Amino acid sequence: MTTNDKIPQLRMLAPESFHEKLTRRAIFKMGSAAAGLALVVAACGGDDNGSSAPDDSPLASGDWSRVINAASGTLAMYTWGDYNDPLLVGEQAEDAIGVSMKVDYFNSNEDLIIKLATSGGNSGFDIVVPTGPYIPQMIEKGLIQKFDTSLIPNMVNVDPAYLAQAWDPNNEYSVCKNWGTTGFMWDSTVITKDLATWQDFFDACMNEASGNCSVIDTGPNVWGAWCWANGKDWNGTDAADLDACEAFLVDELAQHIKKFDSYPSTAIAEGAYALSMAWNGDARQAYFRIAEAGGDPTVWKWALGTPTTELWMDNYCIAAGAPNAEAAHAWINWDLIPEISIQDLAYHGYHTGMKEMPTLISELAPDLEFGDMIFFDESQVATMSTQEITSAIDRQVDIINKMKAKAGA
Amino acid sequence: MTTAVTSSDRRRWRGPKFALAIPSIIWYLLFFVIPILFIVVYSFGTKDASKLLPVDLGKLTTDNYSEVFDETFFKTFKSTLRIAIVATLLCLAIGLPVAYFAAFKVSEKWRATILALVVIPSFTSFLIRTVSWRIPLAPNGEFSRWLSDLGIVGDRGIQLLETQMAVQIAIVYNYLGFMILPLFVALDRIDVRMREASKDLGAGRIATFFGVTLPLAGPGIVAGVLLTFIPMCGDYVTATVLGGAKGNMIGSMIASQFSQAQNWPLGSAMAILMIGAVLLALTVGALVVWIVPWLLRVAQPVTQAVRRSMHARTTARVRHERVEQSRRFDGMKLSMGAWAVLVLLFMFIPIALVFRHSFNGGSSFSIWSGETSVKWWGELFDGGVAWAMLIRFFVITAGALLLRRVLNKVGVGSKRLLNWLGALGFIAAFVVNGLLTDWYREIFDFTGIGDAIRNSFVAAFGATVIAVVLGGLSGVALARRPGVWTKIFMAIVFLILVTPEVMDAIALVTWFQRVQDVPVLGYLFQNGIGPFSGGMHKLWVGQSLYASAVVTLIVRARLAGLDESLEEAAADLGATPARAFRQITLPLISAALIASGLLSFTLCLDNAVISTLVSEAGSTTFPVALLGATKSTIKPFWGVGAVMLFAMTMAALAFVAVVLRRSGESSSDIAATLAGG
Repeated sequence: MTTNDKIPQLRMLAPESFHEKLTRRAIFKMGSAAAGLALVVAACGGDDNGSSAPDDSPLASGDWSRVINAASGTLAMYTWGDYNDPLLVGEQAEDAIGVSMKVDYFNSNEDLIIKLATSGGNSGFDIVVPTGPYIPQMIEKGLIQKFDTSLIPNMVNVDPAYLAQAWDPNNEYSVCKNWGTTGFMWDSTVITKDLATWQDFFDACMNEASGNCSVIDTGPNVWGAWCWANGKDWNGTDAADLDACEAFLVDELAQHIKKFDSYPSTAIAEGAYALSMAWNGDARQAYFRIAEAGGDPTVWKWALGTPTTELWMDNYCIAAGAPNAEAAHAWINWDLIPEISIQDLAYHGYHTGMKEMPTLISELAPDLEFGDMIFFDESQVATMSTQEITSAIDRQVDIINKMKAKAGA
Repeated sequence: MTTAVTSSDRRRWRGPKFALAIPSIIWYLLFFVIPILFIVVYSFGTKDASKLLPVDLGKLTTDNYSEVFDETFFKTFKSTLRIAIVATLLCLAIGLPVAYFAAFKVSEKWRATILALVVIPSFTSFLIRTVSWRIPLAPNGEFSRWLSDLGIVGDRGIQLLETQMAVQIAIVYNYLGFMILPLFVALDRIDVRMREASKDLGAGRIATFFGVTLPLAGPGIVAGVLLTFIPMCGDYVTATVLGGAKGNMIGSMIASQFSQAQNWPLGSAMAILMIGAVLLALTVGALVVWIVPWLLRVAQPVTQAVRRSMHARTTARVRHERVEQSRRFDGMKLSMGAWAVLVLLFMFIPIALVFRHSFNGGSSFSIWSGETSVKWWGELFDGGVAWAMLIRFFVITAGALLLRRVLNKVGVGSKRLLNWLGALGFIAAFVVNGLLTDWYREIFDFTGIGDAIRNSFVAAFGATVIAVVLGGLSGVALARRPGVWTKIFMAIVFLILVTPEVMDAIALVTWFQRVQDVPVLGYLFQNGIGPFSGGMHKLWVGQSLYASAVVTLIVRARLAGLDESLEEAAADLGATPARAFRQITLPLISAALIASGLLSFTLCLDNAVISTLVSEAGSTTFPVALLGATKSTIKPFWGVGAVMLFAMTMAALAFVAVVLRRSGESSSDIAATLAGG
């Protein structure tokens, strides 16, 4: 798993002004591990041994590349909701690489594609974050540009298991931001039985939680769940399966759905749902939010849907016509430094694909809560499969479109 | 128009009658008619997601229309119309007593206060007000728990969030102000003597209300219904934020065809049918409005006879009754006053919640953590810079005012200069503080919000200038140079008002892409001019459409009520058309221009749908950024941003008010113009 043959590189490419940029504010505000990192890098040059840090913030042990390339100007990112530690797309990025960042959000890969397609290379976005299977069509439509891989040397920090994916075998256009999976959580005071399979999810949704059930607002998650529940390949194109899927989702399930909600954690804490399909990171957030709202998190149960579920991977890409491609490279590269990556992980709760993850976590984020909702064992990962865009995609999208209309009727 | 007018027209102006409307005509052709025609064409196409713009026009079909009539989609149409009709009637029922109370039952001073209180909520971000409805509606929220403790609702709390009822409540809230204002203006204009005469003739309070007051308030009711019903039908934000699957409205369904479902042809067909449905509903409404008075008139001889006989019998008691009435009057006044207070409280609840939740110690705007904290304010602002700026601002403005006082006393300087000194100090404070340049980067730590607030102001200001110029010119042309063109032009203006915003947005977005290679236009929208990016130009175009239509209507209504003799006199005295316009027409419509400018500024500042689709990374406005954030968790700093935006808007308005007072405009005149001419 590890790539020990790489010589640890640490170059300091930031200009002198970088030191001045570490303002009082920056040091005050970044109480976290990686905040110290910038200081360490600035102060200690090539020393990557955590023990030499002037404060208590540790550096991960092992062979890591921690190249920081300076850039300037503004950097615009178009991504999924609340998907980075605000410091990493804010002050900390400004202090470390010298760019001020702007972040806008989309709700689905289709939204992202339409935005880029209709702006004809003028969207103004630099970094975009599509899910893996959507990358080939974005390349084909000319919406994203090739990396200059020499500007992303920290890519060596990524576990090879998360590189060279089917959609971009040489990582010419994309690099793993993080990956996650899909499960569901329920209020055990409403649904007293234990749920495990996707079939259980649908049953509860149509009975105890009828009218108080949410599903994720992206097509693949919903038609996928039907396939997973019924032992079908969710990348299959069999017409009979699609008909059966439509019959169930539109005619039977839709009426019981309260909302198509990709981020149910807030509404769960507000008390709007009794059962929610959720991505693992958002489900994890729900536990914090419930406590904050004065609720009892222990009555909420979480399950990774069985017998199968998905493994999705979101990726950093650079938009075609990006106004500041240089800064985009610099930021992506910076985000692949293990300390930064773990800081982000601790915020959003998704596995960022760094190699030697267990070591990183034990050294950098030993207090991480609900780790079992971020990291999955081999047997669990074995039940996960990745979506492929097939010839059935139009039909699948239409099914969800009808289902949403029907749910409102 | 009389023939005399036409002849003097000929003397003054030889060009076409619609000359003044030419800028608007070009603007609407370029950015409304042609782009929308493409959407019309799309509605006959087929979906092809493999294309950059996912429409195949190879084989044209009407399948999309029959698909909309499919029960699944059609139900959303019906529920949208139902929500909008019910909400419009509720707004009327809730708003009428308030407007009546303000117009007839209170002193001049209180009248202005009530009006201000009705208007102020609409200067808070529409989106954040909608989001803040999640707070009282949340089943686990404090309000719900309290009701549950009292035994009013069950153990699981209020079950309203993510339902159609939540949308219904919030939509009434969101548009109530747009109903009350025109109602008030119409009622306020009624000659009190009419009502007194009615009472002297023996009509009771109720008879006076239905026989005199209500018919005279007719235009106000029509204006209020139009101002609420049409935008409600296309509303996208309320349903998206609060509605869940069941509260889905046609606006969000159309939007999702253009994004997630990638089914542009179906979305286009839906949008076109939506326009049809709104027009149909308005026609039915107009018929009702037309038929009811007609029925009344038919029945008039009967009622008159009845009334006469009643009158004869009661004449002797009239005096006595009126005394009694005035005693009962107090009870009526009291209950109406109480109602007005309740309604105003209702309008301010979400705003109070926004304010409180900007001090939320927790991590989510809508979930009150029980702990008050300034941490999100600290997160957003660089305290040192912000305080220093405020102090500088205060010192300079106060200094200018002091100077004026002193100079006034000593008697130095011209009166005119002195009058403007306060405003000059305000401007000086702006300049000294660098408020015209990069201030937002200085005071905001979190540059995203600073940029968004700045972009909101720049976009709304630019769009308002465009709207006022275009709408002002075409409004004058419509009122003073009517002709065949008036009907066509008004039809376009009306179409702009009833077109769902999301359809405009898609039409514009694809149009901007199409004109990329056209010399001037392409450059404008790709590179921008001067300090403004191409994205900002797109925002100006997008936001100016609806706003200019509103300005056109207000200016036209204003001028229609004013005699043209002044302009004729000017022409007779040898003034050129340009001079007559500058010195006569412009002052006549200045109140209308200012009022409609304020209205369009507010509308543009809140614009979320068009702005979201046309904006680019560098031109994100506050509503666009917030709409993006609503997709996941809304952090409390959005509340802070909204409070800031509100404070700045109010400051700008106060400034405008001061300037207006100095220049002698009457604010009540402006308020009156604002709400329906």
